[in-house]
Amino acid sequence: MSYTLAFERLRRLLFLVPFVSKHPGLTVDEVAKAVGCSKQDLLEELDLLTLVGRPPFQPDDYIDIYVEDDRVYLDLDQRLSAPPRLTAAEGVALAAAAALLKPSSGGALSSALAKLEKVLPPQAMARYREMARALDVSADGPDSLATISQAILEHRELELEYVSVGKGDREQRRVRPLELFSHRGQWYLQAFCLTRNGERLFRVDRIGAVTLTDTTFPEPEGSTRQVPGSSSEKPVKVRFAPELASWQQERFGDAASLQADGSLVVTVPGDSERWLTRWVLSFGGNATVLEPEWAIRAVAEAALASLQSA
Amino acid sequence: MDRTERLLNLVALFLDATAPVSLDDVRDAFPDEYGGTEDASQRKFERDKAELYELGIPLVWAQATDEQDAGYTLDRNEYYLPEPGLTPEELAVLYAAGSAALASGAFPGQQDLAHALRKVGFFADGPLPAAHVRLELSGSGGDVKELPARLETLWAAINTKKYVDLDYFSPHSRTVTSRRVDPYGLALRRGVWNLVGWCHLRKELRTFHVSRIRSVRMNTAKPRVADFTVPADFKVDDHVASWPWEHRLHAPVEVVVSLTGELVPLGRQLFGVEPTHEGEQARVTVAATNLDGLLTYVLSLGAGARVQSPADARARVVELAQRVLAAHTPAGGAP
Repeated sequence: MSYTLAFERLRRLLFLVPFVSKHPGLTVDEVAKAVGCSKQDLLEELDLLTLVGRPPFQPDDYIDIYVEDDRVYLDLDQRLSAPPRLTAAEGVALAAAAALLKPSSGGALSSALAKLEKVLPPQAMARYREMARALDVSADGPDSLATISQAILEHRELELEYVSVGKGDREQRRVRPLELFSHRGQWYLQAFCLTRNGERLFRVDRIGAVTLTDTTFPEPEGSTRQVPGSSSEKPVKVRFAPELASWQQERFGDAASLQADGSLVVTVPGDSERWLTRWVLSFGGNATVLEPEWAIRAVAEAALASLQSA
Repeated sequence: MDRTERLLNLVALFLDATAPVSLDDVRDAFPDEYGGTEDASQRKFERDKAELYELGIPLVWAQATDEQDAGYTLDRNEYYLPEPGLTPEELAVLYAAGSAALASGAFPGQQDLAHALRKVGFFADGPLPAAHVRLELSGSGGDVKELPARLETLWAAINTKKYVDLDYFSPHSRTVTSRRVDPYGLALRRGVWNLVGWCHLRKELRTFHVSRIRSVRMNTAKPRVADFTVPADFKVDDHVASWPWEHRLHAPVEVVVSLTGELVPLGRQLFGVEPTHEGEQARVTVAATNLDGLLTYVLSLGAGARVQSPADARARVVELAQRVLAAHTPAGGAP
């Protein structure tokens, strides 16, 4: 939503006063960070606040907030002792963000949401429900996201059933979950795999049953962030037929090169032969591997295998 | 006195009031602010009251009683955010979800979300844990940089029920068309934002990829008056494809797919419906409105996924696999 500057400012100030009241003596930088503005903006807000008060406007009727030795203090809050309740729009934004992680009944996320709905102002409930109806992110991720994110936050080991499609193995893995992320519409779990004794990237939609264990592990020291396909040593060149060219150009952006005949040539990582062949098959003949030779052969073999099983 | 200062003063006045406050009381307290004619000051006060309402601060009119005169009141219990009583685990996971959405670069209601997180964290005692959940929604291609701003405009238009004028790029025709749309809702599917709304050009409900919108302008006339109403039975989910076979290209065809081997336990995850089990096999039945979308998807799952029925769908899978094979077979040679 786009709000007027006055609105945003007011909303910030109604948080700033109670925040300083609760945490007196924080540095100017800390307070600025907590209320989400620059140091300069914060100092201007503090100036404005010294003018705010109520009738009859005697000295004690003004908000008394000040900076001393680079720290922010408050002596009189004029009853602004807690922030206002969540607005309907704030409640919906939070609920939608939570829905991304697939709150499951009985989980920490869904009980958190239930508690928050209770503190929405009664007059905002109708609007909250109406807005919530217009923002739908719930179908975007696999159901196991809630359990996995809980495990990450509580540093608890997970037992998971992992199926790498195509490879033909379904295995039980025990992992220390480190990070969950969504890349190009696909959810991944970065974890230390105790079964394989190394950091691994798991596709969440390939995880079957997942069990939260009671074994905890120490906070990991900065694990390496991986993005799938970011460092390929086996580039594969693929050509899309003209009828698919503009869709794929949208996806690959500047990395794609449009040919004179209307087709589109892109380079994708070929590190996983299985991924590559499945991906090319999913275009039903409208994507052709140009090079290298091993990749062309692999796709042909996969197509043949499908023909034989069909 | 600037507007922000005046509104804050009003909040302080009402939070402190022990009896209803009349408009005359307000004028007496701020003579410079609510001067002029009675009409003018009444209108000004109404605008301020509306703005406070948006901030979650309702000033309510109280009738005169034997004890007190009529006037506006602010219920302190309804103003203050109470301690929501979140456990540390609940707070951590909520914070992780909110921070991930905020950092994703493309989530509608960014400012609202930032404020909500601050309020939720207000009662926290210690520092909040690092999130360890990341969401990349800004995507690639199209006007990536404009995506967040366009989402905010659409979200504002949805919530105030104002129509928008879109320039929309169709990859099918490779042209940009201008159209007026009554925006009903937003949905995130596979990392892509979709807008569902009534298209004035096509005279029907349509779904648009937000990343294909080249420009969006919200109707600014009469901002507090709704341009349209959303039908009571409208659900965003009914109009957004979550799976490739859900794009509406033809009448629904019921297709049965069997899964074997390692795919057996993944039926629900791979197709979004409950599978039935027969011996070593699992079967799923889906209604496809884009048959080729389903068949190429089945093909991409490998030999463990097979189309069982109908017969013409099976024939089409064979045809598609043959096309792939032909494209990857050197002229005159076996692979």
